Amino acid sequence: MLRIVILVVVCFFVFKFMLIPIRVTGISMSPTYKDDSVNFVNRFAYWWHEPQRGDVVGIQFAGPHLMLLKRIVGLPGETISFENGRVMINSQPLAESYEKGSCNWNMPAEKIGADEYYVVGDNREMPQSLHMQGRVERWRILGKALL
Amino acid sequence: MKIVVRIIFTVALIALGIWLWTIFFPNPETVVRQRILKLAKIASFTKDEGNFSRVAAGERVGGFFSTNVEINITIPGHEQDTLVGRAEITQAVLQVREAVREIVVKVPDVQVTLAPDKQSAVADVTVDVEISGERDALVQEMKFTFQKMDGDWLITKIETVRTLN
Repeated sequence: MLRIVILVVVCFFVFKFMLIPIRVTGISMSPTYKDDSVNFVNRFAYWWHEPQRGDVVGIQFAGPHLMLLKRIVGLPGETISFENGRVMINSQPLAESYEKGSCNWNMPAEKIGADEYYVVGDNREMPQSLHMQGRVERWRILGKALL
Repeated sequence: MKIVVRIIFTVALIALGIWLWTIFFPNPETVVRQRILKLAKIASFTKDEGNFSRVAAGERVGGFFSTNVEINITIPGHEQDTLVGRAEITQAVLQVREAVREIVVKVPDVQVTLAPDKQSAVADVTVDVEISGERDALVQEMKFTFQKMDGDWLITKIETVRTLN
């Protein structure tokens, strides 16, 4: 009985405060994360270091119950632009192995703030106007996708 | 043993008293949160809704807002929309209910910040709207500004918050 109680308590704390279970809805992170797939957001990932380029992160809205799942492509202080579908960081093309489809997005150069990251989904085949991307403040990044 | 029972009984009585106090006299943050949840419930509707219910819902939604309310909605991929005044909101609610078969509005996160004078409050809200016929839900962060008017917490402004800039 005691073991079950301990297990329940541990599971509660782990899945409430450490590894937040999420269900991915939408196609903006396709093909890396398919619609309706399950994942976890590791809230401890950035306790010892700051988010890195290429990390897929959970971004909170007004609270932790719904979040955006996006990939970090730009770091604080950098300049980012899109040129015929290629991400340019400080005018240099960014190598993105996770980006599979064809893309024709364009965006003028934009400076990323000192406490901001630039995030975008992996599905660059969809129209740019329908894709949520942009600069996000550090406090909104809840954690890193585990799987 | 008797003293232990008395202590437990007294603690339970105090807890009950505090709980009843919060039910009958909720703090402003709770009132604002409840107003938003209630608004989301009234804004939701099913395809079985009749004409009378539709008009009544429009009127009830209007009651949540001040007469000079202003709503500015900017959603990526959609046109910017501005509504001013209760009448425009009631009209918009009726139009949406006529145009769409079913809408489910959820507010999973509500963060309320009360002004020092406790006469106004700002609520950061995540709004999740499921529209029948649409594959994906529309999720948007919004800021609701409330003002206490004649004892009622009324919405004076709603604006969209850009989660990504």
